[in-house]
Amino acid sequence: MASSSSKADPAPEAGVGRTVNRAKTPSIGKIGRASAPYLLILPSILFAFWIIGYPIYDMANMSVHAVNRFGKTAAFNDFANYQRLFSHQLFIGCLIRTLVWTVFVVGGTVLLSVPIALILNERFYGRTLARIIIMLPWAVSLTMTGIVWRWSLNGQFGMVNATLSSFGLQDTPVEWLATSTTAFPILIAIGILVSIPFTVTVILGGLSSLQADIFEAATIDGATGWQRFRYLTLPLIRPFLNIVLVLNFIYVFNSFPLIWVMTQGDPANSTDILVTWLYKLAFRYGELGIASALSIVMFVILLALTITYAALAMRNERSQA
Amino acid sequence: MYQNRKRRVVSLLAGAAAILSVSSAAQAETIRVVLGYYSAATQGLFEGMAKDFMEKHPGDEVKIEVIQWDNLQQRLTTDIAGGTAPDIAMIGTRWLVDYVKNDIAEPLDAYMTPEFKAGFIESFLSPSTFDGKMYGLPVAASARAMYYNKDLLAKAGVNEPPTNWDGVVDTAKKIKALGTDAYGFALQGKEIETDAYWYYSLWTHGGEILKDGKSGVASPEAIKALTLYKSMIDEGLTEPDPTGLNRQDIERLFKQGRIGMILSGPWLRGQIKADAPTLNYGLSAIPEGTAKATYGVTDTLMVFNSSPNKELAMKFLTETAFSPKWRIEFSTKEGFLPVMKEEAAAPVFADDPQLKAFTDMLPYARFAPPVANWEQMVDAVIAAVQKVYIGQAQPEAALTEAATTIDGLIQQ
Repeated sequence: MASSSSKADPAPEAGVGRTVNRAKTPSIGKIGRASAPYLLILPSILFAFWIIGYPIYDMANMSVHAVNRFGKTAAFNDFANYQRLFSHQLFIGCLIRTLVWTVFVVGGTVLLSVPIALILNERFYGRTLARIIIMLPWAVSLTMTGIVWRWSLNGQFGMVNATLSSFGLQDTPVEWLATSTTAFPILIAIGILVSIPFTVTVILGGLSSLQADIFEAATIDGATGWQRFRYLTLPLIRPFLNIVLVLNFIYVFNSFPLIWVMTQGDPANSTDILVTWLYKLAFRYGELGIASALSIVMFVILLALTITYAALAMRNERSQA
Repeated sequence: MYQNRKRRVVSLLAGAAAILSVSSAAQAETIRVVLGYYSAATQGLFEGMAKDFMEKHPGDEVKIEVIQWDNLQQRLTTDIAGGTAPDIAMIGTRWLVDYVKNDIAEPLDAYMTPEFKAGFIESFLSPSTFDGKMYGLPVAASARAMYYNKDLLAKAGVNEPPTNWDGVVDTAKKIKALGTDAYGFALQGKEIETDAYWYYSLWTHGGEILKDGKSGVASPEAIKALTLYKSMIDEGLTEPDPTGLNRQDIERLFKQGRIGMILSGPWLRGQIKADAPTLNYGLSAIPEGTAKATYGVTDTLMVFNSSPNKELAMKFLTETAFSPKWRIEFSTKEGFLPVMKEEAAAPVFADDPQLKAFTDMLPYARFAPPVANWEQMVDAVIAAVQKVYIGQAQPEAALTEAATTIDGLIQQ
């Protein structure tokens, strides 16, 4: 209290000084003062708009023009790129797989990360070590993770099959990545594995901001462990869960390296998601027009989903408040 | 006074201009060469050529840059779009059609003597010739042949390698009957060149990828070719689940002595020498059906028409890079077939009996057709054969779908 009041004291003096200044140049000073902060950050804002906005503009521009494989744009072509994209036989399949991939990876990640974070938030012997182990996959690049798993899952030389057969669980080698029925769930599982560290970190941050006294109070009132989790922990870490959901959704939706390294969308495009197909369209087939149209479509999908989710989350918070 | 000063400025400027123009005439030219990475030897080989050339042309400079093949097309595309294309680039010959169509490649005939051109083995020139003009020089050539494991075949009671597909099936059955962990015939089922592995069967059954400007992949011959592979998978004559194995995977199995017969290129010889020197293997022609065929692949050195130093760039190619000395050095170190007649006559190539299996196939070599949208056609074919290999579709249905896609791409 004492400190806050002593801080408050100089304020009136500054206020006096301000009125003196204002008296000298009445109108200009007022406008200048109001707009000064905006003017000061204007260069940064313009720069940010240029950095973020220009590629989007360029991409949008390309997507409505005929483009050759060397990026030279020709005439406006009546949204033919979009027409060809939407009528492409692979588009719907890739879109559905992208949604399945995103929902399962994000859902699985959050479902697993909450209990992991709760455990890591408890005090126990070796907690630091456990935290480090959980965080470790984060330090390895996605490409490297993909390569290691690709090797491990190799039917003839991989360690997964070697382990299974040495325990007598398997007579003939299984080619895990040979069909989408095994490959896609495996990709999702590895996707979850690599998303956990980030998610756990954010949730742990949320948990450590909770105050112990409300939990004590609840315990004294006779709340069970589940009740404390359901009615105290969960609502209190909801903002953190929202962040984690939105960010993971964007990362996973656009996640390229794992699938590209492990299957390249094989066999027969059955593990292709939009972003791997996009890479093929742009750099293997030289279809820059369709590829830029697809980029814009993906951008719009992500933007729409994120805004919808943010709006829902905010309305929820307001109604609870 | 004013006039005087003005005159002095003018004369100074003139003098400066004169100095500039003189120096630019004598100025050293620099050519940039972008290459694909074949092996650890690639950089050294071309650095050697550059050094040779620079000694002959003092003052001029040749800059060598080697890039992974996977990134090469993307890198060149970006450079071309940004106006910073090099002077010379190595590209897959099948990419050349796009470069020619978009007016990026320079026709080379005017820079070559007829004798130089006649030095090449003719069949390697056709893939880089469009409308009678040559747009590239074949730099690396490979054909494919059948490698067979002599010990494994002998154990199964087969002393001579099969020459036709019936023989392959028969031999594979005998290898399977041994009951070991070895497989009769290797079948590649994913990633780069999965389509090529099927073209061997397609071509030798008398089929064509493109015929009369339309797709030939759904012809009766093509269906027969794919049905053959599918039946071999079903009978357990290949490794299980081929769609899980790429080219390196089946080659590794062969090196481990677990494959009876595999179709591959000259590079596998070098790998066996390094990784499995005790493997007792032989080489023979691609099995015949109703016809003989092999897959010929060339890579090309091309000159960009945006280059300001096209003359010098071509001199580097004709005088040094394609001199017999460097050709022999390049092909032996990288494990490719000779593309020039003088090179082919050199003892290293002429006296190598194993290499004969490849060079004997050259008259029957087929090349990827020089059409636009080729990479998309390849992926349509790969998707079709994969669907059949995993049992998701019948050969006829899958190939008809691929043919429709290819026909659509041709019309674009």
